Amino acid sequence: MLTIRGIRKTFNPGTVNEVRALQGVDLTIEPGSFVIVLGMNGSGKSTLLNAVAGSFYVDEGTLTIAGHDVTKWPEHKRAKLIGRVFQNPFSGTAPTMSIAENFALASKRGHARGLGWALAPNLMKPLRDRIASLKMGLEDRLDNAIGSLSGGQRQALTLLMATWLKPELLLLDEHTAALDPKSADQVIQLSDEVIQRDKLTTLMVTHSMQQAVSLGDRIIMMNRGRVLHDIRGAEKKRLRPEDLMDRFEEVRRRELLDESAAAMLHELYI
Amino acid sequence: MTLLIGALIIGLILSLLALGVLVSFRIFSMPDITTDGSITLGASIAAVLLVQGVNPIFATAAGALGGALAGAVTGIIHTKFKINSLLSGILVMTALYSVNLHVMGRSNVPLMQATTVASFGEKLGEGLAGGKTIHILGWPVASADAAVLVLALGFTAAAGAAMFAFFRTQLGTAMRATGDNPQMIRALGSNVERNIILGLALSNGFVALSGALLAQYQGFADAQMGIGMVVWGLASVIIGEALTGTRSLGLTIVGTIMGSVLFRLLVAIALRWGLNPNDLKLITALFVFAALVLPGFIEKLKRRAPSAT
Repeated sequence: MLTIRGIRKTFNPGTVNEVRALQGVDLTIEPGSFVIVLGMNGSGKSTLLNAVAGSFYVDEGTLTIAGHDVTKWPEHKRAKLIGRVFQNPFSGTAPTMSIAENFALASKRGHARGLGWALAPNLMKPLRDRIASLKMGLEDRLDNAIGSLSGGQRQALTLLMATWLKPELLLLDEHTAALDPKSADQVIQLSDEVIQRDKLTTLMVTHSMQQAVSLGDRIIMMNRGRVLHDIRGAEKKRLRPEDLMDRFEEVRRRELLDESAAAMLHELYI
Repeated sequence: MTLLIGALIIGLILSLLALGVLVSFRIFSMPDITTDGSITLGASIAAVLLVQGVNPIFATAAGALGGALAGAVTGIIHTKFKINSLLSGILVMTALYSVNLHVMGRSNVPLMQATTVASFGEKLGEGLAGGKTIHILGWPVASADAAVLVLALGFTAAAGAAMFAFFRTQLGTAMRATGDNPQMIRALGSNVERNIILGLALSNGFVALSGALLAQYQGFADAQMGIGMVVWGLASVIIGEALTGTRSLGLTIVGTIMGSVLFRLLVAIALRWGLNPNDLKLITALFVFAALVLPGFIEKLKRRAPSAT
């Protein structure tokens, strides 16, 4: 479904702010696979998601989604194939527009937008039913501005919007990190339901070991812009949070070693 | 009475300008000074065509189209060449000053003899009323003025309704979302750059339409007529928001039209009371400044008050 071949990305090349965010990532994700992406801050996990979504073009390598080579596609064109939920609950919805209008926009993802009414009558009934199934009492507030809702509600709605038309690929970028624990649980549960029901191919970035262990069928652990571990199948099923912590600890120790070695060299030779 | 009707008509014509500014300033959060050039462009194109005897409706439409083109150029400079939106507008406005002089061939085109939508309305009124004056609520009113007022009212209402309808279509909602949250609408597959270009074209199309009609009503197009008009439009939008609030798009559009008419009436009264016309732009600018600053200032005072007591 998603094939990533040797992608590299350097931000601000040739300046003091140069960041080698992706240093050669190869990844093949099968249809219907639910992949968790882990990594420490700056490991390149969000950058990987943004590279797939098309927030920027990669310097090298190719990206293929559902048979389309999307490497040169602009972000809005890739949106035909991709549903996205962002970390910031404010990012995924248009705050001054109503709940219904936000969904009307989502119902046209990747399609030509013409001069037909946005709030088409045949959209309203399924919309009301789907939002009622959230049990958040929002089905009677479809005309309210979405900006008046809580972060958790907005994130739940963003998830429904991203999957209203079944995407070839669903990208979840730490989409519960900014929520309180209760809302985060709700949104995670909803995500899992939607992904299982529609068998969505999913890439989910998270910081939560608990989520990484309990969700999905494969874990990609990133470090310094590369894939460090790729845990799948029976190994993924057996995995406990402690095992993941160990692997993180190992990465951290290696980084520390690098730092102390650099400090030592600095002291000795400069 | 003639003065009042004149103020109402100009207020209605300029409400199209205010609607254009509503699109750029409120929907796209982009104060677009192209407005100052495109209102004159609309007037120039319409005036030159009218002098050549072109059908007034066609001439007016051509003026509006010219403005839309100017807006699209601003949009392209901003989105494709990544130039700050304010600077893009300034560039196009400056360029339009020369363009307008070229269109007109001189700095002023009078329309005294030409057949315009205004002269058409005047004739229609006199024909319908069967005389030079009619009586409304006991007041003698020139039937020509009354007819033009009714036409202006009808046309403005239709333009406002058309804008309202457009912003409720699939394309129109995507354009509103572009101003509200570009990241979101991009992730939903709409081309943000194209939306901005279209939006500025729509905005300046309305502005130039206003210019084309204004030229026909006042009887001339002039190279200087656009100076400060974006601020005039902002003032109308702000008054409109005070009148109807911003809860819904329909109310905002109605409010903007009312704001433009009310502002023109206030100006007419002030001028009649002896306000020096030279001070008009200064006062308009001060008004917009106050309207932009006061809400935040009042908030601050409110927040400070409880801690002081």
